[in-house]
Amino acid sequence: MTYSLAVDIGGTFTDVVLRSADGSLYVDKTLTTHHDLLEAFFRGVNLVLRKADVRPEQVEGVVVHATTIVTNALIERKGFPTALVATKGFGDVLAIRNEHRYEMYDPQIEFAPPLISRELTFELDERVLADGSVLRRVNPAEVEALTEWLKASGVVSAAICLLNSFRNPENERAVAAALAERLPELYISLSSSVAPQIREYPRTSTTAINAYAMPITEPYLRGLEEGLHEARIPNRPLIMLSSGGIIGAGVAARNPVRMIESGPAAGALAASWYAQRLKLDRLLSFDMGGTTAKACLIENRKPLVTGSFEIDRMYRFYEGSGMPVTVPCIDMIEIGAGGGSIASVDDLGLLKVGPRSAGSNPGPACYGLGGTNATVTDADLVLGLLDANNFLGGDMQLDVRAAYTAMERVAKTLDATPVQTADGIFRIVAETMAGAARAHLTDRGIDHRGLALLAFGGAGPVHACAVGSLLGSTAVIFPPQASVLSAFGTLVTPVRLDLVRSALGNLESLAWDDVGRLLGEMVDEAHAALAQAGCERDSVRLTFGADLRYFGQQNELGITFAHDPRKDRDTSAIRRVFEAAYLAQYGVTPSHVPLEIVSWRLTAQGPEITVEGGMQRATSPGAPKLYRKVLLWPSEEDVPVYDRVALAIGQQIAGPAIIEERETTIVLPPNWDAVVNELACIVATERG
Amino acid sequence: MDGIELEILWSNLIGIVSEQAKALQRIAFSPIVREAGDLASGLFDAQGRMVAQANTGTPGHINSLAAAGKTLAGLFHNQLVPGDIIITNDPWMSAGHFFDITVLAPIFWDERLIGYIGSTIHHTDIGGYGIGAGARDIHEEGLWIPPSKFYEAAEPNPVLHDIIRHNVRTPDHVFGDLAAQVSSGRAGGERLIALCKRAGLRDIETLSEEIISRSEAATRRAIRALPAGTWHGESRFDVPGGDVIELKTAVTVDNVAGDVVIDFTGSSGASPLGINVVMNYTHAYSTFAVRSCLNPEQPNNYGSLAPIRVTAPKGCIVNAAYPSPLNARHVVGMFVPMPILKALYQILPERVLAEGSGAVWTVQIQGKYANGEAFTSSMFNYSGGMGARANKPGPSATCYPTGVAAVPVEILEAAMPIVFDRRELRRGSGGEGRSRGGDGQVIGFHMRTDQPWLLNAVPSRLDRGPDGLDGGAPGAGGHFLVNGKPVSEARKMTMQPGDVVLLETPGGGGYGRA
Repeated sequence: MTYSLAVDIGGTFTDVVLRSADGSLYVDKTLTTHHDLLEAFFRGVNLVLRKADVRPEQVEGVVVHATTIVTNALIERKGFPTALVATKGFGDVLAIRNEHRYEMYDPQIEFAPPLISRELTFELDERVLADGSVLRRVNPAEVEALTEWLKASGVVSAAICLLNSFRNPENERAVAAALAERLPELYISLSSSVAPQIREYPRTSTTAINAYAMPITEPYLRGLEEGLHEARIPNRPLIMLSSGGIIGAGVAARNPVRMIESGPAAGALAASWYAQRLKLDRLLSFDMGGTTAKACLIENRKPLVTGSFEIDRMYRFYEGSGMPVTVPCIDMIEIGAGGGSIASVDDLGLLKVGPRSAGSNPGPACYGLGGTNATVTDADLVLGLLDANNFLGGDMQLDVRAAYTAMERVAKTLDATPVQTADGIFRIVAETMAGAARAHLTDRGIDHRGLALLAFGGAGPVHACAVGSLLGSTAVIFPPQASVLSAFGTLVTPVRLDLVRSALGNLESLAWDDVGRLLGEMVDEAHAALAQAGCERDSVRLTFGADLRYFGQQNELGITFAHDPRKDRDTSAIRRVFEAAYLAQYGVTPSHVPLEIVSWRLTAQGPEITVEGGMQRATSPGAPKLYRKVLLWPSEEDVPVYDRVALAIGQQIAGPAIIEERETTIVLPPNWDAVVNELACIVATERG
Repeated sequence: MDGIELEILWSNLIGIVSEQAKALQRIAFSPIVREAGDLASGLFDAQGRMVAQANTGTPGHINSLAAAGKTLAGLFHNQLVPGDIIITNDPWMSAGHFFDITVLAPIFWDERLIGYIGSTIHHTDIGGYGIGAGARDIHEEGLWIPPSKFYEAAEPNPVLHDIIRHNVRTPDHVFGDLAAQVSSGRAGGERLIALCKRAGLRDIETLSEEIISRSEAATRRAIRALPAGTWHGESRFDVPGGDVIELKTAVTVDNVAGDVVIDFTGSSGASPLGINVVMNYTHAYSTFAVRSCLNPEQPNNYGSLAPIRVTAPKGCIVNAAYPSPLNARHVVGMFVPMPILKALYQILPERVLAEGSGAVWTVQIQGKYANGEAFTSSMFNYSGGMGARANKPGPSATCYPTGVAAVPVEILEAAMPIVFDRRELRRGSGGEGRSRGGDGQVIGFHMRTDQPWLLNAVPSRLDRGPDGLDGGAPGAGGHFLVNGKPVSEARKMTMQPGDVVLLETPGGGGYGRA
């Protein structure tokens, strides 16, 4: 029997999933070791191998890894000295940003200092014009000076981002070649390879992030390879990317900026795997944790992917308050409401939840770690949704008294009872989630009504039915591997790389020879990367796409082609695909306006993977283990509480009911029914 | 209504208009809407009182839309049927110049009018003079659309459609953006009805009353915490052409009633340039200034604006009278908060900020591509430095009171034969102080062309920089140089192929003695 391993390192836990060739799964969870992430990695791997009684040599399938290492490096900003090399006269690009003030009404807002300071920025007197012609070549004497300056400044990694290099990378490459020769130890990130897209600020930001993360990520991935070797696991690691792609550690080490959202991306892939299995064209994944919730739309059974996002938003999750990143990423929203979100009463006498969070330390009042603020988890406990003695399978005792006291304080200002307040918090959290989901979907031209939800994360299953009810969801689905869903997601995904290159051009007068050359280069790059990840060339499937807009617009819309567009060079077919997509999103098509191509996309994918789901072992329907008072609903009667592991396939449960797992609790409201389906998902639906 | 129920319904109302604003911004052809978010979207009750506004948009639009909704609802009282859509770009009734078109969609639930969804966006063209301050009177500035029905019972008003189509240079873009405004109004209306059904409401009268009265009470409470009296502030700045404008305010706090009255008596008279500001716009930026210091976290609506009154002598530069030209009203309008902040400094020193560069500098270029084809660029803009705060420096290259984004250099270079020589911070331009003012920036460019070209640049504060506060030093004044020589010109300039343009935007004022 051969096995595959998946390891997802998150902020709190490191999750490990072992899958055997016959589809059976073994999972484990261990605390993340922040001083050395690989410690928990291998501890978790050993635990799960022992549990499954599998020898390391038997892990001959794949080892896939999702990690939060890049995000941590960026948020903590404790990295190595990193330099920026810019075009002369444009060295302040990171400080000037796009000039936007992200919050209009608050005159006290601040901006995060640039990731690379002006002191570590070096300007070169070179210039490429918008048409790709070289106005000034790189001066060798200046590169000498740059080399000396880099040495003197103790710089370990350099981001090279020159104007218009997305159009012609010649000058950037010349600098890189010269530096590589003179400073072989220096990590180099070229904007023309990391994020070859128009707009100097987001491209520089992306390249700077890449450069900053490289000296941290490269040794980490090397350590991972060595560790696997030492552990006698006959496999090289594959790395999960933000786009939902999976690629070899070598390519990932050169492009750490692509790994930022690898954990959430893996969660979205698990959701799309369920969408396929459950034959749901659309699904909204809903992952609610301690500080935030994330939602991602699965469309046509695949996660939506966006070309840009922000990291480290410093002001209430406001758009514009973080660092822009323009590499493909699962398109998700992050909502500032999680289990640790703090409830308060504002000047107008309104009950507010979040965006302030108690995090995991001190955490909710009920954790007993010194927190005194009333949080969402405290409200859940006061309402009887959580069992104080069964949190994390009983490993953590919750303090009901402390939760109640915290709730009382908010209740007093609100002139309500603690239970009414907790009930209000529960409802407001659901409204916040539903509101954010509606905005996210409207922004993408999608009607929120009738979408099924897939709920996971520690707090997701507690609140999912309430959110689903507000969104008019057809069903709320609780997958069986909810607590390790991201790790599971990496194991159901084929090897994949997404590439994008800017090449502005009018669609009607497209220079097809240039396009052919560009796409040819992208195809070569993709094949090389997938070969490194162990894919046979014949097994690689290529999908071409492009971002277009009407001439005069600023925002592009991405489309996917059925065939390689180089073959028939059919611009009217491209136009038709774009207009259909535009109509679907915006409800209008100004069809007499000319179209402009902004960038080309390529997705290269390895062979599909077949996985069987399901872990339900019980053969006869499980009975409630106890009955408990729940104050969320008007009924006087105690509510049955089930253990999820005791439920059998096909078992039906009528709400109200509580279904407990080790890491989370499913709350089934009175007018809902649930059934355990053949994939061991609990599928809840609201009665008509 | 309790604080839980109200929070839920209220946040839903804000959600409805915010969604519509986002949809408008994504779909818009108008570059300034897309890039700068130069739009507003609001929800009004059946009396035309603004109950909720989108949390995106610029203050000038948002608060002007609040006034427009009230006026239009009054004008069309008892004359509306389902499917009607109201339109106007009347500067005095809405946002102060013809480019801004306001569309108001009545929401009928069956046959009952329960409210309105309104939006104002800056359109690509409105005929007439085009972008800039050079028109001699308002009629030269383009098409004037009086309050009228753009749709009547769901049918387009054919005459009005024709008139607009024949009087703008970019009818496809204007109609594209108008269609987006109409559809967002209708979609928002449907969402409001769905919310009412879900919450078991028959209309939004009680809800609206609750929101407005609580907001008004909270704003008055905040005002009552201030000392009573009258505080003065004044700001001086020069505009293109070199004229110096003076804005004087007397801010009177009545801490018994909880009122603030802002009086602009003593400010400059009307300008011959198209930089005059209508009262709606002055009111918008005045209330913005007060609320952003007093209680910025509270949502904007009819109630939160009601306790603040603004007056100015008829016909002065901040209460423009017909037929003064208004096109570039932001040039003066964006300075409206500055004297108010200086007055408020005397009672709210921790909340205000020192003067900043004020209006963003805007640039538009017309010329010919290498193949001889003519082009007109979209308007692009650059910020100076923001004023310092009591305990924090002013952000560099960031503007206040708007916060518009700049178009990337690479996007501009791809769109026309322009080459930027530099774009960097203007170090040391922010005023010294305990907190430093933000730095302005230096932007240099030339054209790759062998033809003359037209430059329409609107700089300000070339004469002297923004004042510091509390002993802080002033920021550096701006420079507008062509081939190294200072220029002061309010109208389009004809440029020669080799000309080199340099813009040095002002730094922000410092706060406190260094």
